[in-house]
Amino acid sequence: MRKPVAIIGAGLAGLTAAAQLRRRGIPFTLYEAGPTIAGLASTFSDGEGFSYDFGAHFITNRLAAAIGVGADCRIVRHYGETVFLRGRTYGYPFGLMRVPRFSIGAVAARARAIRNEPPRSAAERFRLRYGRAMAEEIAIPLTEAWSGAKADELAPSVGDGIPGIGRVLLLKLSGRLTRRAVACGYSREMPETPNVWHVYPEGGVALLCQRLARGLEPAIKLHSPVEAIVVDSERVVAVRANGREEAVSAVISTAPCHILAKLAKGTQALQPLARFRYRPMVFVNLRLKGRGLLPDVVTWTPEKDFPFFRLTETPLSMPWLAPEGKTLITADIGCEVGDPVWGAPDEELGELCLDRLQAIIPDARQRYLGCRVLRTPIAYPVFLKGYEAERQSFAQSTGIEGLLSVGRNGEFDHIFMEDVFWRTTRKVRQLLSPWQQGNRAP
Amino acid sequence: MSDAADLHKRASLDLRPAQCCICETDDAEPLAVGEDFEYRTSGDFFLAMRCRTCGLVYLNPRPSFQELDRIYPENYHAFQFTQSHYGFVYKVRCRLETRRLLSWCSGLNEDARIIDVGCGDGFHLRLLRDFGRATWKLEGVDNSPRAVQVATRAGLLVHHGIVEDLALNAAAYDMALLIQTIEHVGDPPAVLDAVRRLLKPGGRLVIVTDNTDSLDFKIFKGRHWGGYHFPRHWNLFNARTLAALANKAGLEVEAIKTMTSPVNWVYSIRNALVDLGCPSWLTNRFGLASPIALGVFTTFDMLHQLAGRGALVRAILRRPAPVERPAAN
Repeated sequence: MRKPVAIIGAGLAGLTAAAQLRRRGIPFTLYEAGPTIAGLASTFSDGEGFSYDFGAHFITNRLAAAIGVGADCRIVRHYGETVFLRGRTYGYPFGLMRVPRFSIGAVAARARAIRNEPPRSAAERFRLRYGRAMAEEIAIPLTEAWSGAKADELAPSVGDGIPGIGRVLLLKLSGRLTRRAVACGYSREMPETPNVWHVYPEGGVALLCQRLARGLEPAIKLHSPVEAIVVDSERVVAVRANGREEAVSAVISTAPCHILAKLAKGTQALQPLARFRYRPMVFVNLRLKGRGLLPDVVTWTPEKDFPFFRLTETPLSMPWLAPEGKTLITADIGCEVGDPVWGAPDEELGELCLDRLQAIIPDARQRYLGCRVLRTPIAYPVFLKGYEAERQSFAQSTGIEGLLSVGRNGEFDHIFMEDVFWRTTRKVRQLLSPWQQGNRAP
Repeated sequence: MSDAADLHKRASLDLRPAQCCICETDDAEPLAVGEDFEYRTSGDFFLAMRCRTCGLVYLNPRPSFQELDRIYPENYHAFQFTQSHYGFVYKVRCRLETRRLLSWCSGLNEDARIIDVGCGDGFHLRLLRDFGRATWKLEGVDNSPRAVQVATRAGLLVHHGIVEDLALNAAAYDMALLIQTIEHVGDPPAVLDAVRRLLKPGGRLVIVTDNTDSLDFKIFKGRHWGGYHFPRHWNLFNARTLAALANKAGLEVEAIKTMTSPVNWVYSIRNALVDLGCPSWLTNRFGLASPIALGVFTTFDMLHQLAGRGALVRAILRRPAPVERPAAN
């Protein structure tokens, strides 16, 4: 009998892989360092009727269908974004296009783009794509706030997967027509169409993980951080967890790349991953009286005098996340682990956000009910030019036979929940296909 | 909140993963997300996938066998396609289908045995009995007790069960029919394999099913295509995948052609209207009981049929006659 496959991490990616292995009757052990499954897909509820997601707010009806949780999902009726600039709000993207300096700049950039060299940095790419005004005033400051790096130092691939204007127009219009939040820029692995929209599972996005984990329980080991992945001659041979080594035929890791680099023993091939950086993020969830306080679900604030770069009033999309007559606004603040923002007490961060929020919601302070802060050291991968070549090669393969790195952190890519599902499915299929052909041979 | 109440009323089905029945892999792309627009038997979303290797369209995940009673409700049309329910449409369909059936059966002997697999309420068997040769021996198979009951009451010989499990006489039948059945079954290769064994060597099998090479599919394949019939159609074919299926089951292809049908056009439009929340006076203009829509789209689909792109695909397959082996020296 074949040695088991080790899966590291019981989040969406790890459980997707596990369900696929079980379907094919391949033995596996799923190691989860924490006390529960669901990882980034967890939802927290307080006693007062507010729910807080760890980033992953949306899933699509297509993902719900693939996992079989459609009946437990509600349709998200509306999703929209605005940009707050010089005291005014502009709908994204069409409101911005009504501003002459943006629209003329964008058209001119498009015309020039035909004979241009490929961009060498994210900043160049944004200028070529959106025109100078929109790039300098919106795209570049937002990218810098979100990544913590200069847009000149970021690889142009930062802009990959952002849908073109024609696509956006089609998707937004069909969303209006059908009163559904048609997904736009939320699925990169599979095409976005007017038939794919946002839904939200009852009780939170962790439902996906719970459904995938059904029947897998005996193979899931909680409280079991993997201490080492043993590699011999550039091939995985074992994992060590709880002080014990288990021989394995393959490892499917969802660990962040810099951690994967540390876990792998007996190889130098993963050393470049140690340089890959993730941007830590603080999410300040402000509880407020009223509803519809922001102009739309998401408001981008590219101006530097805002401590946050994005505000999200989730109940405008999903009314059930806050009690009636109240709302929840999440302010996203990029930071570094150990800096003053990372270490600030919750109430202080709440005050910091409220101060500047008054520029958009003048009576924010009177409405304020309190806040709850979520912190993550690994919110977004940062595509620095300095390791772009290594990143691209890693996107193809880990370079170690029998080692897959999947999931949002494991892939080091800007992917969403549905992408995690399809990509993991594809990669696991590719990993297994030589084995299965072997089985079929006489 | 009516939304929440609605949600609980439409509890989830037990869904199981599936793979391509021809290639036996699950390397497929998602094609459509849909719901049970017609009967609303659950609140689930369903995913139609297309196999990257052979192009078969299949439902994944799909309801488990325990859910069959729920996804085929009492009022399911195939259980009661009668004149009292469908009037004028019933009469026209009888005439059309009789002509087709008799043409497929034209070469059969007087004592031919014909079996209709997935016969529903026995609609086609009744046509053969009433308009075919009186000497033909007719039998049916269906897995729905309700359908079997209706058919038996009409004096037909119908076996209850699935053809793979029933102990029917091997190599006994001259002709088998699988009319809009293959898309409903869990394991099409197994069904064809079973049917091949039932057929006499040289005996024929006629399969009629929804065509995924048609214009209606192309237009509506993202969600509303009538042929998906979510969640009751588990495998959907075109000429190519039907030939691959026949090949897998050891049947020879005599001919594969398309046929005219208005049903998927009408139901695609109906599903889109239902999905957009249109009022019932409008959605009811599109259905099996709406002669105008059916008439218009019959004419329309005839034009596609001329181009070889009719809404249905029909395969005539044959159990190979034993090869005469040259005597060994």
